[in-house]
Formats: sequence, structure tokens, C-alpha cells
Amino acid sequence: MSRLAPLGRRLPAVLMARRNLSRHRLRSALACLGICIGVLAIASLGIFGNVLALSADDAIGDIGNQIVITPNADEGVEELTARDVAAIERVAGDAGVAPLKTDGAQLSRGSESTFATVYGIDRPGEVYVADEGRLPDRHRQGAILGADVAETLDADAGSVVTVEGTDLRVVAVLEPTEGFTPAAPDGAVLLPESAFPGTGYDQVIVEADSGAEAAVIAEAIRETLNTREDRVDVFELTAVVEDVEEFFGLLSGFLLGLGAISLVVAGVSILNVMLMSAIERRTEIGVLRAVGVRKREVMATLLVEAGLLGVIGGLVGVVLTALLVAGLYLFSPVDLTVVLDPTNALYLLGAFAFGVLISVVSGLYPAWRAASVPPVEALRE
Amino acid sequence: MASAELAGVTKRYDGGGEVVTALSDVDFAVEPGEFVAVMGPSGSGKSTLLNVLGLLDDPTEGVRYLDGTDVTHLDERGRTLARKEFVGFVFQEFHLIPTLTAVENVALPTMFDSGDDDRAAELLSRFGLEDRLTHRPSELSGGQKQRVAIARALVNEPTLVLADEPTGNLDTETGERILDELRGICAAGVAVVAVTHDPELEAYADRVVRIEDGALA
Repeated sequence: MSRLAPLGRRLPAVLMARRNLSRHRLRSALACLGICIGVLAIASLGIFGNVLALSADDAIGDIGNQIVITPNADEGVEELTARDVAAIERVAGDAGVAPLKTDGAQLSRGSESTFATVYGIDRPGEVYVADEGRLPDRHRQGAILGADVAETLDADAGSVVTVEGTDLRVVAVLEPTEGFTPAAPDGAVLLPESAFPGTGYDQVIVEADSGAEAAVIAEAIRETLNTREDRVDVFELTAVVEDVEEFFGLLSGFLLGLGAISLVVAGVSILNVMLMSAIERRTEIGVLRAVGVRKREVMATLLVEAGLLGVIGGLVGVVLTALLVAGLYLFSPVDLTVVLDPTNALYLLGAFAFGVLISVVSGLYPAWRAASVPPVEALRE
Repeated sequence: MASAELAGVTKRYDGGGEVVTALSDVDFAVEPGEFVAVMGPSGSGKSTLLNVLGLLDDPTEGVRYLDGTDVTHLDERGRTLARKEFVGFVFQEFHLIPTLTAVENVALPTMFDSGDDDRAAELLSRFGLEDRLTHRPSELSGGQKQRVAIARALVNEPTLVLADEPTGNLDTETGERILDELRGICAAGVAVVAVTHDPELEAYADRVVRIEDGALA
């Protein structure tokens, strides 16, 4: 408190407010406690909702960001041509586009052998990420193994595997995919396009940066390729993902609403405390007004008082929320990255700001009432 | 030019259904450096006279001047600023702010502007309270509190100091000391109007005005 003294000298409203609050320590502490609980409720419920949504996002993985385009066999289209791919690349913009040829093949290494999907792909870096080794810009030679295949064959980057009787060096091993992706590479091996006969493709994968972008691209592809006949099937799960996100949005809103109610209740207790304070100090405020302190200066003093209750309660609430979230991380399987997501800090900040705002707004009426009493009446009592 | 002047001032207010005339056609003036004692029984209109003089209350009729300026019809804000500029108040119950130290109480009228603590401390020293600067009102005796209150009334360098029963809550000896202090203020050219029952005060005043039923005798 004493470190605030120089500030109080320059800001008399702060000095007076601080002294007045320390006059009834228990009462002030209880009002702070109300705001503290409100801020704790709104921040922790908000962050829990956010953590749920973020965790769900992680689990859903790329499902919402990927589009898979396949030829429509019902219309007699057997494969996607280079022109189709070029058209897709045009509408996809910055999104990664990887045309694939698909087959199945027997793989073996030493005594281990497995059956795997084979993708013929020219630029694997567009949609996949390497765990070991490096993905070539253009896939010219060797094999790239999915994580599961590599594990089954006990192969690393640099190993040699036999694909349908041909020995190939492993250039890279892909990262295991988390969650569900439409073209999961874990059980696949990626070969150069030249390993496949013909020029057409069996599918094209587009990887967008977000579900929303994916939805836009999917629609654009439909419009471009399916003008006269439905040449292609466009598979995307953005609609499902949007439903899931909408649900979590509702859940967050509901949780925040609960928190907000408790903060409003806390605001009522501030209103009560400030009103009591204003009534008790009626004569004192009359003296201030009589000796030349202006109405708005009296109001400022009381508003600072209410604001201080909010700031102190809010800070304690923020600290408690941080501890609670740390506990959540320690005692539940939530990822650290989800806990430390910057949007959580936004909830903390928002709850604090809302707590202070509620306090100041609750102080408005008592402050106005206190400042409006004519000094001659206040002094007569 | 008078420090403060009332000309034909009448003050009526609604006292629960019937109209009470607190002041009736009062002409009153106080010159710089003059100490005027206003005496009269309770309910005679003494306090109303002080409130109207000090811009805490407005006259129903008549004209009011402060330092030569017509201040009859100032608005709320104007009256507050004029009080801060021209008037100092000393109350019977001292009316110090319990949460503020002596020096902060004295600086109170100017706190939201310059907040001149040095002048406040100097005033307290003048009244022999240099070792009580950081004491709270609860740690001061009645006489000390009233001296703090007088210092507060002077911090804005007023032209008029209004004292409502300044010795009312003090024993005789302490009361005399306070009257000495008020007398001393006049020496600096400040006009002092004190409302009182206390016959002691007559001896200190330059002039005694008697008021009865709202009219000056």
C-alpha cells in the first residue's frame, strides 16, 4: 500500500478511495471476494470451454482441412487428367495440391513383409510431413514409407525395402498422423509417379489452411469441374466439422453466460457496499463539497473506490484461475499446448476487464447519489 | 469594497407544508480584516445567514456579493468554484475527514487542483501543530482539531472565513485560544464572520450583530 503513496499524492481520488476502503477492511474484502469469484467463474469456465474446443480440434485433426477429389465412376470417368489437376490447382490458390495414383503392393524387408497401399505422388511435400529423412521437392526415386509400414518393416530412412520384387531405398519416413485424415498415409508407401503406367490420377488431395478455406475451395472445384457433367466426387467434412465447432461455440457461450451471472451478482454486492458507504459518508461528502471539491471529483473518488475493489478482486480471481488451469493440466490428459494457447490468456484478460467494468458500473449510481446531495443538507445532519 | 455583502436578502423554505422565513430582508456587509460576531438564539436564522453568505444556500430574494462580484445567481458548479476561490469554512463539529492526516485535511480544498501540501504544513505550523502533521483527527484533541479546521479554511487564501459556533464544542480556555487565532486571521485582511451563542466572542469581535426571527436587530 505504501508504494502507492506517491501515486495518491498526484491522484487525490486514488488516495481518498484507498483510505476509505481500508476503513472497513472486512466489508471491502467481502466485496472483492464477490468480484474475485465472478472473475474466477467467468475465466475458468471460459478457459475450460476453450480447452475442450481446442482439444476436439486437435482430435479431429486435418479432417476439416482436407478435400479429396476422385473421378466419378457413375459418369464413366475413370481417372483425373492433368487438365483436371491443373484446374484444381488454379482454384486451390495457396492450398497444397497432391495428385495421387493408387495401387496395392507387397512390401518386404528381410524376414518382415506387409501389404500396403501404394500412392504415386510427384510432390509429397504438399500434403505430408517427414518424420525421418527429407521429402524431395519432386519424388523421382526411392520410396517414402508411412509410419505404420516403417514400423512393421522395422525400416528407417536409408534402409532398402522390396516393393513388388524391386529393391528401393527409403528416402523418408512420414510423421504418424493424429486423428482422422481422409488420405491417411500411415499404412502406405509413396512411390514416384513414374512407377505407375498411364498419365491419369486416381485422386487429388487438397490441403487447405482452415476448414472454412477448404469449404470455399471444395465449392470452387465443384463449380469448375462439374459444369456439364459430374466428372468428380468432392469429399470434404467441413460441414461436419462446422457442426462440431458450432456445438463447442454454444457450449462456451453457455459456460461464459454462467460465469457472467455470478459476476453480475458480485456487481450487486459492490453496488450495495458503495451505497452503504455513500450513505454513511453523507456528512463527510457534504464537507468536501462545502470546501470547494466539485461534484465530479466526488464522483471520481467513489468510482475509483468501486474500481479498486474490482481490480483487487479481479487480480486475485485471475491468479486463482491460473492455478486452477495448472491443476487441470497436471491432473487431466490435456495437452500443454492447449493449456498455453494464447486464446486462454484472452479469456483471463476479458474476465478481468469485465470484472473491473462491472465494479465501476455498479459504483455509478452510488457515486452519483453521493455527489448530488446539496452540501447544506448533508451538513445539517 | 466589502468582502461580502447581502442586500435585501430574504430566505424562505418549505418546512413540511408551511413556508418558513429564515431570513427576512437582511442587509449585511463585512469589510476586509473585520471580525463580525452574529449572535442570536437557536432558530433565529444565524446558520442560514452563514450558508447564504458562503454560497451553500441561495437567497429567495435579494442580492449577494462576494469581493464585489454579484454571485446571487451562480449555478451549482459556479458556486462550488466560488467557494473554493473566496470562502473558508470552520464548523462547530470541526468536520475533519477521519481517513486523512492533519496535513491532508488542510490541503483538502485544493487537493484536486494543486494539492499544495507545503502550504498546508506551513499553516499547521503557524497554529502550533508542526508536530501533528501526519496525525489522524482521532489522534487530536478538540482544540487541535479546530485549529486544523481553521488551517483548512485558510489554505485557499480566502477573502471571507465563516465560522459556525467555532467554540461550541470546546472548553473555555481552548475556546479563547481559537478566538485568538480567528482574530489573528483578520490581521491579514481576511474578513471573519462567526455565528455564536458564546458571549465570550463579543470581546474579540469588531462588531456584534444580533439576529432574531430572521431579521437583524
